Amino acid sequence: MVVTGRFVTFVAVGVVPVVVFGALAPSAAGPVLVAWLLLCIAVVVVDALLAPRPSTLKLSRVLPARVRLGESVTAELVVTNTGRRRLRGVLRDAWQPSAGASLSRQGIDLPGGERRMLTLRLTPLRRGERRVEFVVVRSLGPLGIAGRQARIDAPGRIRVLPPFTSRKHLPSRLARLRELDGRTAVMVRGQGTEFDSLREYVRGDDVRSIDWRATARQGSPVDAPQRLMVRTWRPERDRRVVIVVDSARTSAARVDDEPRIDTAFEASLLLAALASHAGDRVDLLVWDRRVRGRVQGAAGAELLSRMVDAMAPIEPELIEADWAGVPALVRQAASGHALVVLITSIEAPGAASGMLAMLPQLTRRHRVLVASVTDPTALRSVGDRHDLEGVYRAASAERALLDVARVSAAIRRLGADVVTGSPADLPPALADRYIALKAAGQL
Amino acid sequence: MSTEVGARRSLWTRGRFWVIAGVAVAIVVIILMLVRGIADVAGRPFAADDAGPAGSRALAQVLQGRGVDVRIVDTLAEATSAVGDGQGATLLLIDADGLLDASQLRRAGALAESTVVVAPGFEALDALATGVRSGGAPKRDSLDARCSLRPATQAGSITAGTRTLSSTDDAWTGCFPDGGNRYGVLQATDGGHTTTLIADGALLRNDTITSRGDAALALGVLGTQPRLVWYLPTLADVAVAGKPTVAELTPGWVTPVLLLAAAVFLAAAVWRGRRFGPLVVENLPVVVRAGETTEGRARLYARNSARLRAADALRIGAIGRIASQLGLPRAADVDQICLSAASVTRTAPDAIRGVLLTDEPTTDAALVALSDRLAALERAVREATSTSAPPPSRRMDP
Repeated sequence: MVVTGRFVTFVAVGVVPVVVFGALAPSAAGPVLVAWLLLCIAVVVVDALLAPRPSTLKLSRVLPARVRLGESVTAELVVTNTGRRRLRGVLRDAWQPSAGASLSRQGIDLPGGERRMLTLRLTPLRRGERRVEFVVVRSLGPLGIAGRQARIDAPGRIRVLPPFTSRKHLPSRLARLRELDGRTAVMVRGQGTEFDSLREYVRGDDVRSIDWRATARQGSPVDAPQRLMVRTWRPERDRRVVIVVDSARTSAARVDDEPRIDTAFEASLLLAALASHAGDRVDLLVWDRRVRGRVQGAAGAELLSRMVDAMAPIEPELIEADWAGVPALVRQAASGHALVVLITSIEAPGAASGMLAMLPQLTRRHRVLVASVTDPTALRSVGDRHDLEGVYRAASAERALLDVARVSAAIRRLGADVVTGSPADLPPALADRYIALKAAGQL
Repeated sequence: MSTEVGARRSLWTRGRFWVIAGVAVAIVVIILMLVRGIADVAGRPFAADDAGPAGSRALAQVLQGRGVDVRIVDTLAEATSAVGDGQGATLLLIDADGLLDASQLRRAGALAESTVVVAPGFEALDALATGVRSGGAPKRDSLDARCSLRPATQAGSITAGTRTLSSTDDAWTGCFPDGGNRYGVLQATDGGHTTTLIADGALLRNDTITSRGDAALALGVLGTQPRLVWYLPTLADVAVAGKPTVAELTPGWVTPVLLLAAAVFLAAAVWRGRRFGPLVVENLPVVVRAGETTEGRARLYARNSARLRAADALRIGAIGRIASQLGLPRAADVDQICLSAASVTRTAPDAIRGVLLTDEPTTDAALVALSDRLAALERAVREATSTSAPPPSRRMDP
């Protein structure tokens, strides 16, 4: 049972009879007060009893399955009054706070047997699964003084995908990828390049790519100059790229107010988009002590949608990563040679010992790239040392940078490559390194 | 087991407010009781049930022990009903605050066979004891009986106290004279009705009753009859008349309206306090700032004054940057870096060695100064190398 502001006003109006009767006969004021309060209670009880039961409402939801973080969607709630009586009142749709619902309560006025659609804008604030379990309905009586309240289960969920803000870097990287493609002969021929075609020399082509044998085969026409033929190369295709995202303890840390794991997702989405355009096959594994997410055997647009879907519900786990299991996983994903990208954090040597111990197993068969988010505040605090506190902070930051440098050196010594960058820089840096490897034919 | 602990903790979290509030209320109550107890320690004067120094429980209990039926009353009406027809009853009247008016005093004085008035004021004397006046302060510390009244002769002598009564009327028998018609006790008998006036109340008080013959006199005067009505007038005896009180001036509906206001407040509380369904639970991710370990290490350095360690960390970073500025290999040793930095910046190699290697900061100021010198050296090397580099040519071919 609920009461409204009208009830409070109604009780307050009792001052009129109390004063009037009290002025007429001083002893009457007390009994009049008691009678008024009893009347109030009676009115509340009657009004609440006359209010239609909220449980006569039938609810169904129309929800989009997914939304990208930072965008808004419309969530619809269809309310059907199965009773015969008109139901007036207020409805609360109990979305989780970080679903970012625009309205928390809405008024409803529903004649018997009719149906209404209530709409709500959702602007989620966090990645993952945002849920709603129930709806609360307050149904008011004919006087609007009191009513009934009930909770009605109406579960719903919406999946909030990673924002993929780094897709703004994609067009420029795709352009550079096309430059590598067979349309130009400028590129250096390397181990991983494949012969594409022969064509006529045009100005600007590298003279080293002239194929003299093919030129000779063209013969020499009488009335025209000798046609020079060049060989064109295209980068290798159908290589395997395995992205392993570390979702353990260290991925929960926030750098520039973004958890490391979100940066890792951004970087892996950009890399996957690029690699699938370049014709490589991309697999994604999210791992700490077990596989949290896996995308295998997808290509093209499906790859990205499956990746964001897999990433959406993954939160960092506050446990230490078990790197010993990674080589077996990679072997499952790619039996032959592959580019293995480990997106983790390079910090203290002690914390990295598990990864360092595992790396040789990977580098023996694959080309390995270790990507890590660095903290730009460390670099800033190295430069800012005007007082004693600043000096100590700079010393500590230097120590941290030294640790990173030592771990990076150890990784390089084990035959892997290191890419680091601030949260904004890491995704394009990783994409650039991929393009460089591709250009060098080292995939 | 852990869930049990969790449940217990949540119970504690939920009930914490009430537990703390209850303890606070208990403490306040105890403090109030102590304060009141200290304030009341003197006791209500002449109260038969008060064990404080000013009370008179000692006397009342002794009387009761001797078979006297002591009844304690607060108002004249109660006194009237307790005395009954007046036979075999003593009325002890102590109107220390002068609450009774003349007619009430006269009525009280006529109630019982024997009336004892202690420390009578002007009005009481006027109404009950014609011919007796206040006699002022006694000149001696103790007064001797010197009369034929039995209780007085038994007492022998009493404490003089602060007051006496004076009378020249033959109807009054004076005891414990102080000279010049001033007495400590006066008694008159009028047709089977005895009125006894005791000038000073000190001989009833718990704290002074044991001195001299005070107790004997009090017991003798009050114990003559089988029943004793102990009457201390209270505010309830004050005749209601004259100026109206605030309560009489307010209209009758004010209190009901105040009650109604309370009811409105309650209704508003119910209206606003009713929750619109249960709360929604959501697990939020932990927030771990990546810089926390760095900050923590910096504070550890600062707390332990690890100046050399901090200076070494700064030096390692600076040496690495200087080496890469100078184009030296990663494996170059520090001496080599010092020498080439000295040659680039045209400074003494010893000074640079001191900055990069040997100087030990012993004070905080020295550490800050070393840090500044390191920064200056880095800057100098950077400027020297950037100016010494050939300017980039703008054209590819001549």
